[in-house]
Amino acid sequence: MGKKEFIIRRLLQMIITFLIILTGLFFVFRLTLPDPTAALVMEGLSADAQAMVRARFGLDRPLWQQYFIYLGNFFQGEFGMSFHYRSAIAPIVWEKLLNTLVLMFPAIIISYSIGPLLGVILSWRRGTRVEFGGIVGGLFLRSAPVFWTGMIFIMVFGIWLGILPTSGMRTLPYEAAHFWDKIFTLDYLWHLILPAFTIAMYYVGLPMLIMRNTMLEVMGEDFIELCQAKGLSERTIMYKHAARNALLPVVTQAAITVGLAVGGQVVVEVVFSWPGLGREIIQSVRTSDFPMAQACFMLMAGMVMVMNFLADLLYGYLDPRVVYQKGGK
Amino acid sequence: MVKRKSLILLCLVFLLAFGLTLNASATRVPEFTIVTTTEGYDPIRYEAAFLIQDAWAALGIEVNVQPLEFSTLIDRFYNEQDFDIAIVGWSGRVDRLDPQHFLGTLHSGQVDLGGNNPGGYENEEYDRLFDMQAREFDPDKRREYVLEMQKIGMEEQPLSILFYRDEVLAYNVNTFAGYVPMAGEGLYTEWLPFDVYPVGDSRTLTIGTSQEPDNINPLDSTTVWGWKFMRLYYDKLVRLSPDIEPLPWAAESVEAYDDRTIEVVIRDDMLFHDGEPVTVEDVKFSYDYMIEQDFAYFRPFYEPLEEVIIIDDQTLHFVLKEPTSFFITVTLSQIPIIPKHLWEDIAEADQLAPEDIPTIGSGPMKFDRFDRGEYKRLVKFEDYFKADEIDIDAIEYIIYADAEGTYTGMVTGEADMTAWRLEPAQITLAEQEDHLEVVSVPDFGYYHMTYNLRLPALDDPDFRRAIAHAIPHETFIDVLLDGRGERGTSIIAPVNTFWHNPDVPIFEYDLDTARYLLEQAGYWIDDDGRLNMPQD
Repeated sequence: MGKKEFIIRRLLQMIITFLIILTGLFFVFRLTLPDPTAALVMEGLSADAQAMVRARFGLDRPLWQQYFIYLGNFFQGEFGMSFHYRSAIAPIVWEKLLNTLVLMFPAIIISYSIGPLLGVILSWRRGTRVEFGGIVGGLFLRSAPVFWTGMIFIMVFGIWLGILPTSGMRTLPYEAAHFWDKIFTLDYLWHLILPAFTIAMYYVGLPMLIMRNTMLEVMGEDFIELCQAKGLSERTIMYKHAARNALLPVVTQAAITVGLAVGGQVVVEVVFSWPGLGREIIQSVRTSDFPMAQACFMLMAGMVMVMNFLADLLYGYLDPRVVYQKGGK
Repeated sequence: MVKRKSLILLCLVFLLAFGLTLNASATRVPEFTIVTTTEGYDPIRYEAAFLIQDAWAALGIEVNVQPLEFSTLIDRFYNEQDFDIAIVGWSGRVDRLDPQHFLGTLHSGQVDLGGNNPGGYENEEYDRLFDMQAREFDPDKRREYVLEMQKIGMEEQPLSILFYRDEVLAYNVNTFAGYVPMAGEGLYTEWLPFDVYPVGDSRTLTIGTSQEPDNINPLDSTTVWGWKFMRLYYDKLVRLSPDIEPLPWAAESVEAYDDRTIEVVIRDDMLFHDGEPVTVEDVKFSYDYMIEQDFAYFRPFYEPLEEVIIIDDQTLHFVLKEPTSFFITVTLSQIPIIPKHLWEDIAEADQLAPEDIPTIGSGPMKFDRFDRGEYKRLVKFEDYFKADEIDIDAIEYIIYADAEGTYTGMVTGEADMTAWRLEPAQITLAEQEDHLEVVSVPDFGYYHMTYNLRLPALDDPDFRRAIAHAIPHETFIDVLLDGRGERGTSIIAPVNTFWHNPDVPIFEYDLDTARYLLEQAGYWIDDDGRLNMPQD
């Protein structure tokens, strides 16, 4: 089976998976979250008035009808109306998604460019204090909860030293004609520092440790010995020969991380009041805003699937031995 | 093998039957479940449930505590009425200073699913007085009915008012001064533009908040936070003073013309923010439009209105279906005046896309911007008829993700005041900050524990009065609220001085009294120490 067929097969699988996810999302929210009009009682709305609101949201129809309307909307590329905001979801979700991505990507780039490099160094210095310190440090960063590191950062840099902003994406208010206008500014970078480093610190441990482990495996192989025998410098062997071969698992991990990045680091977004998709998810679940919650989770699911798919394709490029065939290796 | 099994089964059946006959003569007071909020949502209501559980266990009453996610709790309580005992609350919204709403929560007309009386309390005398107070224009006469109703309601204890919790807020003393706290509203009142004045360099007041409006459509917003924002740029005929007195505002005068007609003379110097004058046409249109569009949120306010008649170019008559005591204090003080020329061609106001919603009002501030999840700003309306009483240029809002973020904003000086209460842990921290002043404002909203009166034992007023003596009110105030609150007595809070009845029965915490009263009512303790229903 060739590459083309592999791609087609994977695409079909993806569509089926996505349909299952769509259905799951619809029922999970409706069965587990309370009625979105429940909170209106507290605002003093009578039962009649609540019923009116429910009818407007289409919640008075039988569940199966709601389900098909939902599917229909989705295939027309619509996410529907938000119950809470009373406005179209798509523009809100896209903006929040971009906000999240411009926080997550810098963080991921930082951690996945530093992490593997550190991993190489650790493996090269096997058995030394450097390796020990690196592993302990990596595990520590990996297990420190992000809200905690975030709060420490806020306390130190925001409150004690008072040198870095602790909330939002920009100094408010700001004028931005469009999205890129908003982020191609020093002010945005300034606001990015604390949250991005909080996330990067959390992420850096994983690629570092993965890289170290695979490096150790690779370095036991014959071709390394050959390289040494050829008289290549340590540097060249390490980065050009060993590291390149050890990169594969890191790539998979990076792809998964990027896929999950859509949902953002919910906690970090809350701690730094970053107006991203993660905050939106919390808000939508809290207010039982079904359409909004569905849209957010759909984006997340879609992104994870697409990124996994890309990782599979990238494998073939990084490792020519990968063949797209059933039973093949 | 099979025989032995059936023998055992037979024995079991006999035992069961025997047990049931025993039970017929001795029925235990059933086990109750108290539903309350999760610890994360409100640690105080959560802990209160466990304190009550302990106290009642001492009386031989078995109680479970079930914390629920907030909207699930509300759904179960109001919409499904699926609860034994529920700890919930009513927030003190300014229109609820008029007793109508809170008194209505014990009215028999509200007992159906989704109504405001989920406990199912019904009392004919109470209902009769309710209708009388609703029709009485003379406040003093009305007050008599209102006091009597509180007495009836609290004597029968269909619910226990647990506590009134102070709003604890903070502001930066170096930037602005003049804040006037208002019961139930805290610092973020509609008088804010008139009260505060700068003591620092900035003339823009920055409010830190984690509460965002749902939307800013005056015909679609159904949250307090939408209205707390919009009421600063829409004007109303009447405003409630910090002492809860209705003041004619966009009106020169508001008077009862006869018992079904209210005559309103509007000011002649009012402009909308786009420069158009505010006329009687606009006022009439605002009310007619709310009714025509059937806007559910304001329905309880405009429901009594039959029609608005224009008498001359300054004067209107509001004709009511029947005499309605709260019309001036609630309806006229809540329904915003919207410009006819911008709204009259909009057929379905609730279908407007966010960018098409007119944001022109005639209030003291002008709408400037709203960036969802980030920022809002209002600027001073220079042509406002009381513009010279406003000493600030603008009010801006920084929208944080949560209370923690808001507090950090207060500490770093990014925000000048908080719109919503501080978390208990933040209060002590805030008190240590030199630039922050912490204020406690009493609330007239209340936290209550409502019994489902359809259940055995809970349907007995004697039982309810007895267990009312086993509610540790003092611990609530001293320990849970750290002294920042007051013990619950009546559905109309003491801070609402005019309408509150100070003579409602108070049930002091005393387990011996509780036991004595239970015994008097025929309840008895069995050998296991469990309370049993009276035998008859």
